[in-house]
Amino acid sequence: MTWVTWRQYRYQGALAAALFAVLAVILLLTGLHAASAWHSCMKDNSCGVSSLASPLVAAIVVATSAVPLLPGLFWGAPMAAQELETGTNQFAWTQSVTRRRWLAVKAGWLLLGAAAVAGAVSATVTWWSGPTSALTADAFQINRFDVTDIVPVGYAVFAMALGICAGLVLRRTLPALAVTLAGFVALRALISLWLRLRYLTPVTMYYKLTAPFTPVGSYLTVSQGVVGANGKPPAPNTGPVGIDGAPLPAACQHLMGPTKGNFQAALACMTAHGYRGYLTYQPASRFWVFQGIETGIFVALAAAVLGVAFWMLKRRDA
Amino acid sequence: MTAVIETSGLTKRYRRVTALSDCTISVPGGRISALVGPNGAGKTTLLRLLTGLAAPTAGEAAVLGGTPRQDPAYLAEIGFLAQEIPLYRRLTAQDHIGIGAHLNPRWDGESVRARLGGLKIPLDRRVGTLSGGQRAQVALALTLAKRPRLLLLDEPLAALDPLARRNFLAGLAEAAAGGGLTIVLSSHLMADLERVCDHLILLAESRVQLCGDIETLLGEHRILVGPRKDTTAIARTHAIVQEDTAARQTTLLVRLNGPVIDPAWAVEEPSLEDIVLGYMSQGEAGYGAGPGAARLSAVGGDR
Repeated sequence: MTWVTWRQYRYQGALAAALFAVLAVILLLTGLHAASAWHSCMKDNSCGVSSLASPLVAAIVVATSAVPLLPGLFWGAPMAAQELETGTNQFAWTQSVTRRRWLAVKAGWLLLGAAAVAGAVSATVTWWSGPTSALTADAFQINRFDVTDIVPVGYAVFAMALGICAGLVLRRTLPALAVTLAGFVALRALISLWLRLRYLTPVTMYYKLTAPFTPVGSYLTVSQGVVGANGKPPAPNTGPVGIDGAPLPAACQHLMGPTKGNFQAALACMTAHGYRGYLTYQPASRFWVFQGIETGIFVALAAAVLGVAFWMLKRRDA
Repeated sequence: MTAVIETSGLTKRYRRVTALSDCTISVPGGRISALVGPNGAGKTTLLRLLTGLAAPTAGEAAVLGGTPRQDPAYLAEIGFLAQEIPLYRRLTAQDHIGIGAHLNPRWDGESVRARLGGLKIPLDRRVGTLSGGQRAQVALALTLAKRPRLLLLDEPLAALDPLARRNFLAGLAEAAAGGGLTIVLSSHLMADLERVCDHLILLAESRVQLCGDIETLLGEHRILVGPRKDTTAIARTHAIVQEDTAARQTTLLVRLNGPVIDPAWAVEEPSLEDIVLGYMSQGEAGYGAGPGAARLSAVGGDR
């Protein structure tokens, strides 16, 4: 089966390798440039994001967040669907190999291939992002967290499993592609924007409004705002808005108006009335735990989806 | 020789459609069995149940002494060629030979090369670029290369020209003559089947109408031609399969149960096609021609 899988996917594999080579060359050249720029600008403290990477390459790097989806979409979804569509499964499944083994070996290699593609791209992107990440402490930002280190491998494994399963269940390539695309994007959005903030209980820091607090390193902001003297967000009133959307206490309202405003004085006034700022966040030290949790979630979902695929294969007629 | 295929009450239902109903057949080993019947009669369903590609809704099948199942040892014994001649269009015949070699314990890739070489079919071209007939030959050669003990062929002749059909059937007969190989092939081409088959399974309306040795079936059936008259006397002794009444004469296809005594009836021997058409038109008035008509309408019309 391994030989058969290789025979059927060698061109796709070569194409993937060629595309990766192009990306790698782009990132290698611009990455080396960024690294030397980083070393020189650190001397005179003149480093800026734009001096390290052109917006175009930065956009390419952001776009690599689609890479983990591609193997699942173009190799996974057609894997079973195309066979069922053209009837070649009747050839494959009447050789002296059980359907179960056919799926296990093919899915196994494709999962490995997807992981390799995503891992290679992620490794390159992670290396490339080094100077920028060090400068901007953006490791937890969606555009960075999602394309670096190990999570892309988890995404790719999940997308592949989803593609294979959708193809087996729907038995047609196009619907399988659509389901894989929609399922992957929806899950990624849900996890990136909502669930990721909640992997661990976040840390909340209260700070004086006049001395804003910024955690060390790349942290993940869960929420930020202002609380009143009672520790609760101040009740809305009709007065002018102070900072972070919190209404000013009546005593401070004269400091801010539609036409004039003394922001620092207003902050001082709010502080005097017991107002505090708070920041709820996931500290930078949790980066690898979060990478691990997120990868684990996607790998576990991939296993569940593959379980469905094996079950369908056993239960349904060929 | 003991039965290679033995089914009892085999039934397959898809949601509302019953594709095969209460199918009980027995095919002895070493035979070449013709699986015939009108379109939609359940031929493909029966073959798929025997390969294990589909599971029955009810009833059971014993093939080569076991239930069709997902087991490499079982699959190695079965050669199946599906109706749509499925091959990987982007791969070459050579690639397919390689696939077969990697997936089957006894694989005779050399036989495929020899066979396709003899037919001048290139091994190194993508099979998608071959003609339909060439593809069919590639698929057949691959199915035979598996060296199965039971060959299940779903309309293998449909894509072949008459000469290729003849060669293919000769090849089948040769393979079967080597011993140890049982073949079931479905087709509409009665004349071709008659040449090589020695066993018949007739399905109509998802039921088995006939199953048995062709010689025996031919011996058991007669066409009776006589004056138009009451047939109850005949029906008392024999089973009337089909009755066709014209202005002055009655033609009957009967399954004999002893000799026909009444001298009013002229007794003729039916062809296999007469029998098949007779059973196929049972309960379906006007479906086919009357008994004996097949011989009038040029033997073995396509489809």
